[in-house]
Amino acid sequence: MRQVGFSATPNLVLRLPMWRSRLMLFMLFFVFMLLLIRAFWIQGPGNAFYEAKGVRGTQRELELPASRGKILDRNGQVIATSLEAKSVIAYNDTVPDDLAADKIQKLASLLQMSQVELRKKLKEERKQVFLKRQVDPEVAQQIKQLEIPGIGLNNEYRRFYPEGEAMAHVVGFTNVEDRGQEGMELSREKELAGHPGARRVVVDRLGRVVEDVAILQLPQNGKDLQLSIDSKIQFLAYNAVKSAVEQHRASAGGAVVLDTQTGEILALANYPSYNPNNRKQLNGEQLRNRVLTDTFEPGSTIKPLTVAIALEKGAVAPNTNMVIGTKYLVGPKPITDTHTYENLTVSQIIQKSSNIGTAKIAMNNLSAEEMWNFYTSVGLGQTPKVGFPGAVAGTVHPYKKWMPTDQARIAFGYGISTSLFQVARAYTIFARDGDLVPLTIERSPDFKPGTHVISAKTAIAMRSMMESVTESGGTAIKAQAEGYRVGGKTGTAHKLVGKAYGNKYRAYFAGLAPISSPRIVVAVMIDEPTGGSHYGGDVAAPVFSTIVSETLRTLNVAPDININQATLKDVSPADIQTASAKVQPAVFKR
Amino acid sequence: MNRATLTLLILLLVCALSLVAAQQRARKLFISLDRAQIEEYKLNQDWLRLEYEQRNLSKSARIRDVARNQLQMVPISPERTLYLKEVK
Repeated sequence: MRQVGFSATPNLVLRLPMWRSRLMLFMLFFVFMLLLIRAFWIQGPGNAFYEAKGVRGTQRELELPASRGKILDRNGQVIATSLEAKSVIAYNDTVPDDLAADKIQKLASLLQMSQVELRKKLKEERKQVFLKRQVDPEVAQQIKQLEIPGIGLNNEYRRFYPEGEAMAHVVGFTNVEDRGQEGMELSREKELAGHPGARRVVVDRLGRVVEDVAILQLPQNGKDLQLSIDSKIQFLAYNAVKSAVEQHRASAGGAVVLDTQTGEILALANYPSYNPNNRKQLNGEQLRNRVLTDTFEPGSTIKPLTVAIALEKGAVAPNTNMVIGTKYLVGPKPITDTHTYENLTVSQIIQKSSNIGTAKIAMNNLSAEEMWNFYTSVGLGQTPKVGFPGAVAGTVHPYKKWMPTDQARIAFGYGISTSLFQVARAYTIFARDGDLVPLTIERSPDFKPGTHVISAKTAIAMRSMMESVTESGGTAIKAQAEGYRVGGKTGTAHKLVGKAYGNKYRAYFAGLAPISSPRIVVAVMIDEPTGGSHYGGDVAAPVFSTIVSETLRTLNVAPDININQATLKDVSPADIQTASAKVQPAVFKR
Repeated sequence: MNRATLTLLILLLVCALSLVAAQQRARKLFISLDRAQIEEYKLNQDWLRLEYEQRNLSKSARIRDVARNQLQMVPISPERTLYLKEVK
């Protein structure tokens, strides 16, 4: 028997087809290729996704806070500033349902809300609920110490207004999102608003920042804004208006103080007002910036403008005598005066505020076109460009539509409408020897050239007529200010109620001081005075007087009447002692 | 192993360790910079707060109240003021 080895047994001889090993080889190669491609993908084109995943674990984007700009008055005093505050947020899926009652009670008392209200907020469906916004940092710290899971604090800013009511209409206010809603806060929103930045950082396991990766955007703080308003003058003007409104049981009042040399608005006061720091019960009446947004028939305050046109034209002179009489018939209703005068000079027409006289000057000497041109050239019927939201233009109808009866009445201020601000601005032509100055609410203490409207001669003549209004025989003796010569014009206008003139009045006084070299123009309006007299000379003139004397003293303007003056040369130290001995007891006298 | 390799190995080790140390120092410095920046922000906030408080204490309404009611002062008036005029 032939010995056959096991391995050589013919039964076991298997001829495997060549393709099977090839296939195996190819499959192995293919799988390795797949791995290679995958590795290449991860390293190359698909890298960004994995990098982002890695970054998410270790890097964070943080906000870089930016604050809103401050608003300052002309002397650099803060009138609006942003301070840090916290908003309290509840992440409702994290807040435990079985929160201890004493913690809820503590939290509720810190947030100044009832427990019921708080519980309701914590049960809301939303993931995030603002429990309270703009919380004081100290209160926020106490909330943090309660260590309630799911109650978080966020940084935000809160706006503060130290001047409160007195400045409310000038500055306005912002909402909880720190955006301007009224006044300068609204109109200068773009400059004041800050733009928060962002940075990317690396954090460690505990969330601490360990490395700066990049500043994505630099934070931009808002720009500070410096106004032309003087907070002292604003305060005294506001108080003068407020006490007059209260004394005469009026519905509202307003005043504006302009610097005639620089065109700056020194004060702009309105009453009723509101506290911009706490605006819970706010109504439209309080929000109205009457000086700029209320138009009214200017009444007699327009007479100096009408007379100025006639003077400028050379048609009349201050001492031209005119026949007045009891009534003057133009159109269906006669024009009348409160007192009857036989004859008045042009000066006296202003002094006594004669409607008939002014209407006669206009009808005898002026065309409708001349009057319209003049009123328009001093800014009536045009929106003042001072950058205040809601400033109105008033109306001066086109002269072609004027009937003679319109023209006669417009001459003494009926049938056209202006804001108090426009009247004050128009009066700068008398204060500045005939040129109209552009007005500004931003501080710019240089002399501004104006637009020439009337000659210096006319302006000076008008000033002395306006001074006579405040002297004996005039309609506004109460406008006299302590230490300063003043001039101005009263106005008492019937208010239109619906289409007819009702029993309601507006009392005005607009004027300038000191007459020897006018520095300020002040206009005052008291709406619907009810206690006794409703005449501008009785109601508005005393307010003018207070504002003028206190403002000029604040501005260090030397008085131009009744002063005890000494020159430095003849004053020796001994004199100063005697003088102060005289003065001091008076200061502390009550 | 010859001497050159050994020197290079030691050099490598020293470099590696100093890199770790430098990174550690950079992080520490960064953390203190970050703290200083937070401090700066806080101080800025404090300054704003103090400025506001100062303004609140010096506002016209308060000055008037204190002058009139606590110090019994009355406003000046031209009647009892001696005006000095400088002669050049």
